[in-house]
Amino acid sequence: MKKLLSILMVFALLLPVTAAFGQDDMMEQPLVGFWEQCPTPENLPETVNVGAIFGLSEAVAVYGTAQQNAVQLAVDEINASHYLGESTTLVVMFEDSAGNRDQAIAAMTKLVEEDGVVAVLGPTLSSEAFAADPVAQENSTVVMGVSNTANGITEMGDYVFRDSLPEGAVIPGTIAQAAEILGLAKVGLFYGNDDDFTVSGYEVFKAALEENSIEILGEETFAKGDVDFNAQLTNLIAAEPDALVVSALAAEATQIILQARALGYEGPIIGGNGFNSPAVLRDSGADSEGLIVGGAWNYGNPNPSESSVQFVEMYEAAYEMSPDQFAAQAYTGAWLMATAIRCADSTDRTDVRDALAGIADFDSPLGVFSFDEDRNPVHDPIAQIVVEGKFQPLALVMGE
Amino acid sequence: MEFLRSIGITEIVMQFMLINAILGLSMYLVLYTGMFSLANAGFMSIGAYTGVILTQNFDQPLWVGLLGGMAVAGVLAVPIGLPVLRLKDIYLAIATIGFGEVVRILILNFDTLAGSLTGESVRLTRGALGITGIPKITETWHLAAFLVVTGFIMIRLHRSRFGRAMAAVRQDEPAAANMGINVVYTKNMVFIMSAVLAAAAGVLKAHLTRTISPGDYGFDQAVSILAFAVLGGTSTWVGPLVGGFVLTALPEVLRDFKQYRGIVNGSILLLVIVYLPGGLVNPAGWSQLWTRLRGKKQGDTLTAEVS
Repeated sequence: MKKLLSILMVFALLLPVTAAFGQDDMMEQPLVGFWEQCPTPENLPETVNVGAIFGLSEAVAVYGTAQQNAVQLAVDEINASHYLGESTTLVVMFEDSAGNRDQAIAAMTKLVEEDGVVAVLGPTLSSEAFAADPVAQENSTVVMGVSNTANGITEMGDYVFRDSLPEGAVIPGTIAQAAEILGLAKVGLFYGNDDDFTVSGYEVFKAALEENSIEILGEETFAKGDVDFNAQLTNLIAAEPDALVVSALAAEATQIILQARALGYEGPIIGGNGFNSPAVLRDSGADSEGLIVGGAWNYGNPNPSESSVQFVEMYEAAYEMSPDQFAAQAYTGAWLMATAIRCADSTDRTDVRDALAGIADFDSPLGVFSFDEDRNPVHDPIAQIVVEGKFQPLALVMGE
Repeated sequence: MEFLRSIGITEIVMQFMLINAILGLSMYLVLYTGMFSLANAGFMSIGAYTGVILTQNFDQPLWVGLLGGMAVAGVLAVPIGLPVLRLKDIYLAIATIGFGEVVRILILNFDTLAGSLTGESVRLTRGALGITGIPKITETWHLAAFLVVTGFIMIRLHRSRFGRAMAAVRQDEPAAANMGINVVYTKNMVFIMSAVLAAAAGVLKAHLTRTISPGDYGFDQAVSILAFAVLGGTSTWVGPLVGGFVLTALPEVLRDFKQYRGIVNGSILLLVIVYLPGGLVNPAGWSQLWTRLRGKKQGDTLTAEVS
């Protein structure tokens, strides 16, 4: 009901806009999109179906719902501005995977083989992508992950894309910058060893630390669902590190920050994508001071692109909450897919793939966006530090 | 076939249904013998990992992986079953949940553990990241054939001396022992058979979903397997089979309900539990439900006549 309401609200918001411009026979162009680079398509059918597999129920719904909201927002904008031509409507068929591999495979099979969609966005989790993406690849259908950060996602085939920066693209930059600015020499490493996301984050952290010849004083682990980290943190802090490097999901991240501060640790805490969440900042309060986070996008980015500002405004107006990184990546994903269809001027799956692979220098809320030859995203990640409860660019704060 | 596809049961869903039916049968065996064991997910995990390591690291065909997985699980079931099966009811359930956790954590840390023992870097179970890129080589007919053979064995088992011993152990253990049934042997044999079936399902499923990780076989999976058997009913072996089919197909058939899917799914299951406590395949339960519904009407007319 809530969703229905919010979708109605989006329409309600868009109605006056379209009506007003309908009179002038002029359309305000959204800031996103290849309006000049690709001509308005002429050969598209009346409806173009794109699938989207997100975790809309169970625990994963925290991410999946934000993704669905953001994609719907983008699609409404695309249709209202006739991005795919005067008479063409883009329709997204949302399927729920509930964070479950079997359901992700079933949903992908349904979309690709039964519904005949042009392309698919999702699935939400990397583990789902490893199971479901081969189905799309076998059917020569583009699948674009908007939140898959694990290594090896796009190695599954030439139809597998993602617009979410892998950990490997975010963390090394953050570590290098932190090492240079803060003069890190020795750190303690803390990670969750029973989750694919936190383990892959740990591996990237470790490689990055070694590359910057930073000594690892000690390594400690925790498990998903743990609430007491005092024992491990005491060990790590006792070795007097210059910084604590932590690979954790948001739920554990907050407790780790609070408990490390309670143990008297005052140095910087360097976190991965899991820390890049408004909730972590809110829940850890003043203790988050000095938290350094690398991410693909952040709500508090003080130097956002114009389209990022507009996206935040639209999202807040439509859903009465602030978008997170997942929403920004899903929104960009939907625009990228629409752009591929526009530039291909065709609903042929192979044409769309080729057009998508060719997208470069695309202005999006994530920044100037391109795909590399392995169909991974290329755009600037941001290394930030929390100062007075807000994210600030690390280089700016420390450079003074 | 066309009809099934139109209601959302594609080939892959059908394959999952067959696998879950096998898991339901593995649960049925232990429940039929009166053992409330939740070890099946653990054995499924052992089977899946053994099978995948055989097909991926040692380039063996699927049937070798399948037999290997079944064999390893069967052999491991002996030292687990001997002490654990002395427990009963909820205590057995707790102990077997513990077994499942031990398996999960061992697989999670297997590479580190083996690495520190051998002094070399081991890359076999790949920890929390799991094994990805497993080829999809399980075919529907593999699963159907496996299920037919299992069903045949179930029918034979029921009519055999051993099958009757299983029922006797469930109904009254001391009485069964007095009748000359070797209770320890019966219980352990059933535990092994159940482990072997679960392992087979694990191997076949791993070669269908292309990726496995230790978290797939935790407590959630153990409870799902129990649900297949309970929803289907354990009065005959067909029950868990139907339970596995229904519980797998239902969420896919209900996809058109979009965000209300979970509610509709849950309501249907609730109705089954309330009105058919013995499970879906339970003739006595259906006739009870029938008389309950009809009985009410008779009662109504009766009170009407009296007044």
